[in-house]
Amino acid sequence: MIGKRSFLQNIFLALAVGSVLFICLFPFIQILSTSLKHQFDWGNPSLIPMKINLEAYRELLGFGKMKDAPIPDTIKRLLDNPLITEKKKDEIISKYRSTGDVFPFPRYFLNTFILSASAASISLILAVFGAYSFSRLRFKGRSTIQRSILFVYMVGGVMLMVPLYQMSVKAGLTKTVWGSLLSLLLIYIIQTLPVSLYMLGNYFRTIPYSLEEAAATDGCSRIEAIFFIILPLSAPMLVTVFVYCFIIAWNEFLFASVFIKQFHDFHTLPLALQSLFVSKNAIWDRIMSASMLTLLPVIFCFMFVMRNLTGGLTAGGVKE
Amino acid sequence: MASVTLKNIYKSFGYVEVLHNINLEVDEGAFVVLVGPSGCGKSTTLRLIAGLEDATEGEVLINKRVVNLIEPQHRNIAMVFQNYALYPHKNVRENIIFGLKRAKAPKDLINRRLERVSRILELEDLLDRKPAQLSGGQRQRVAMGRAIVRDADVFLFDEPLSNLDAKLRHQMRSEIRRIHREYKTTSIYVTHDQVEAMTLGDKVVVMRDGFIEQHGSPMEIYLKPNNIFVATFIGAPSMNMLDATLFPGFVELEGQKLMLTKRINENDIPLPKEGKKLKLGIRPDFFLDEDIVGKETHLAIIRNAHIDIIEPLGFDRELDVQVGNQALKARLDLRTMAKEGETINLCFDMERAHFFDVGTEKRLSIH
Repeated sequence: MIGKRSFLQNIFLALAVGSVLFICLFPFIQILSTSLKHQFDWGNPSLIPMKINLEAYRELLGFGKMKDAPIPDTIKRLLDNPLITEKKKDEIISKYRSTGDVFPFPRYFLNTFILSASAASISLILAVFGAYSFSRLRFKGRSTIQRSILFVYMVGGVMLMVPLYQMSVKAGLTKTVWGSLLSLLLIYIIQTLPVSLYMLGNYFRTIPYSLEEAAATDGCSRIEAIFFIILPLSAPMLVTVFVYCFIIAWNEFLFASVFIKQFHDFHTLPLALQSLFVSKNAIWDRIMSASMLTLLPVIFCFMFVMRNLTGGLTAGGVKE
Repeated sequence: MASVTLKNIYKSFGYVEVLHNINLEVDEGAFVVLVGPSGCGKSTTLRLIAGLEDATEGEVLINKRVVNLIEPQHRNIAMVFQNYALYPHKNVRENIIFGLKRAKAPKDLINRRLERVSRILELEDLLDRKPAQLSGGQRQRVAMGRAIVRDADVFLFDEPLSNLDAKLRHQMRSEIRRIHREYKTTSIYVTHDQVEAMTLGDKVVVMRDGFIEQHGSPMEIYLKPNNIFVATFIGAPSMNMLDATLFPGFVELEGQKLMLTKRINENDIPLPKEGKKLKLGIRPDFFLDEDIVGKETHLAIIRNAHIDIIEPLGFDRELDVQVGNQALKARLDLRTMAKEGETINLCFDMERAHFFDVGTEKRLSIH
């Protein structure tokens, strides 16, 4: 019998799938597990926390108080020095203990969200019109332009970083925080646009042209046909493209670290996480819960796309 | 309602010219069918009228107004597409009223029209369905509804029935006739099916390779085809084309003399001594069995035709026969007693036969 698997084959398949899944998911499980552990539990290799600790989440989301950072032993020894006045001692301690604004998670979250959402929206809007013209309009140099767009991906980000920064400096954008954010936004749009154009362009090509012709005879201009016919039919792909752009911008670290490093209030989450890792506030549960919270929108996005990406919207419109 | 005129239309795609000097008049309220084999330019002609293609040269007039530069959405035409082209994300109701809504028609007018159209096309129970939930015939009716619901000047039909099965096609054909009788909207209908052309059109335009070969009423085209192409394309089974030689008083076919009803005037057609080689065209339907009709002097007779195959089609019998070296088809009624393998004498009225020039393939006017 064709396609029928034996019991042994089934077991082997299950094992193979299971181990791939485990390897993929292990880092995430580790993050989740550590984020829920108490300090005494950190060294424990078990993935299941002995006691659930939600303190870090509460703290990050602003429901709880920041935990005191431990004062390093060297500093403690320094404080024992009788020559230091009480006042000075308090100053030093409070400097180490001060936790206000150590990691304003909601603010970083909002920064990242606004930046990613605007980059994704603009990229999507540009991609809709660009992809439409690539897939439907006939003009000179169409295929050349279409192909050359992919040059963006020929050179890696690390190589482009310095030239791009120099361009922004020359353009006077880096002087202010808004200019820097604008440069970053532009970079995110440029980085995501080629793939958006390709995804949408290929999708538009699957929509029969006769639907637009029907819309034209029904009294629609080309733009109206795009809005009333093409876009509703492309909804799943529009969502996918938006999510793709959003996630790219959401996770981007390299360019953010160059362009907005100096503006602490405007850090995005990847940047903020990085500074959290190396800061004196680097406590494992806090790092991991911050990572987890950063991951969440991405996970939501993927789930949303999976649910909506059912395709088949154009079925039944034309006789194939 | 509006008239449609095409004046000296040329259309090229790149270096390929697909329409050569098309001239066409469609009167107000007429039903004109463009018919021809695939690739003859009939769909392109229709799309030019719709504005979906631009003419390379020449003028398209709707209502005596040149519309070459007018976008399709402003031409006030309604079109039914071969592949239906229904909006997949809209249900039947929304599909039908989309055009009216775009034109910002008042709500009660939209509702009245929708009700009427769905009654005529029997779509009442399907209004809330999406195109994907409809059968082919239902989709075709929705596509039709989308066109007729609007108060369009011209209806354009691009092979609307070619995707339906035979029975449904027949049904929809009557439907289209009825709709046209009711609405009297100028209609232009493209098809490659000559039966549709004959049954639907007030006027039939036969096209080939981007030329109009002939236009006229269906019977005109059936009875007086201009050339061999039209003669064989229109009518099923198609007209027999037999090699024959014309002499002043008769035509010789495989050594048999078939008398003409009148003498050829030699000024009209110069006849050399050895006769003029030509094609003799007779429709299979015009043959009669001599055993049935008896000896009638005014009929020409092809004698001793050898019967290869008889196909009984109910009332009719189609015979494939051999006369000398030439094969021909005859359609006789069921009274004939002819049997396969035997011979038969076939009569026909010489007035119904056509003579075509071998070189130009044009019909020679002998009658």
